[in-house]
Amino acid sequence: MKTMSAIVLALLVFSIPVHAGDDDFKSVVKMIEQFYRVKHQGIPFLAKAGMKVGTTAARIKGGEAKRIAEAGSVKLAVFEDQAFNGDFMKFRTSLNGALNETWMPFVQTISGKSVEQNYIYLRNAGDKYDVLVITIEERDATVVQVTVSAKNLALLLKDPEGTGKSITEGATINDQE
Amino acid sequence: MKTLSRMKLTMPLILLLALPILARAQDARLQLSSLDHLAAKANQTVDVNVDERLMKAAAKLLSDKDADERDVKKLVEGLKGIYVRSFEFDNAGEYTTADMETIRTQVRGPGWTRLVNVISKKEGNVEVYLLFNGEQVGGLAVLYTEEKELTVVNIVGPVDLEKLAKLEGQLGVPELEIEKKKNNEK
Repeated sequence: MKTMSAIVLALLVFSIPVHAGDDDFKSVVKMIEQFYRVKHQGIPFLAKAGMKVGTTAARIKGGEAKRIAEAGSVKLAVFEDQAFNGDFMKFRTSLNGALNETWMPFVQTISGKSVEQNYIYLRNAGDKYDVLVITIEERDATVVQVTVSAKNLALLLKDPEGTGKSITEGATINDQE
Repeated sequence: MKTLSRMKLTMPLILLLALPILARAQDARLQLSSLDHLAAKANQTVDVNVDERLMKAAAKLLSDKDADERDVKKLVEGLKGIYVRSFEFDNAGEYTTADMETIRTQVRGPGWTRLVNVISKKEGNVEVYLLFNGEQVGGLAVLYTEEKELTVVNIVGPVDLEKLAKLEGQLGVPELEIEKKKNNEK
């Protein structure tokens, strides 16, 4: 009986960080990988490959993303040129189910019968806010998590779609300047 | 005696069963999940969820200095949530009356009153419902339908109707031009 209680207690203790910690970002990336059977590319790999997202690291350090995100808070996973075929309704349900406990689902848009899916989740982080933006298109997907100040959250609340897009674009679009 | 003891036993059970129904009667938050299946048919789907936590955060962020923001802040301060479901379709007839009825049934419940009902082939149909908790407005629902579009906006909490238009285009609330349509109805 004691052993059983210990197992239950251990399960409870170890299950908490999975939902509440920083692993949520990784969990979402993993979930996309499993659901769509795709693989994300890390920034170092992309930088080496010289792909368009290769400039992301530089961009994050001094680019537009920094203007919205707090320094050092950007987490990014990019999926390029892979097929995102699957039931987007099932995907949305799984995603909401996985994140609902700690994240507030703020805005979700689906355009052109799943050709483009956008999800914005918010989470309180002390006097700041964590913003998780997931964009899935036909051949590409992006998961960006940033921490924003209260001021920048106001921008997001005022124009959810526009600010959500600029968070993703700021973290991924090639800087030609 | 037996009947009395049976009553004593069953009464709490009846009350327990009835409580959720009574509570729901005054609840301004509509169940919108019945519309979720439309996302599979829609060309464009928008879901906005601003719950009480986010509402409080939004209120704090709005400036007192700017007149417009001050008005929105006042409007937002007492609110408990804003929920939007919007669907745009390629063809007419993709959503049914039954879909709309799942929402209308809720706003026909106790406390709800229909404030506006505009039927326009050109500009679409708008229905505005208010939930009254006594004298005070406890919530609002806007149903906007066109041949190829369906939008439901649900605001939970005391809504200042005079300033409602200021919320359009803010916090994910679409531009429905309720004021304009309300005036056209007069």
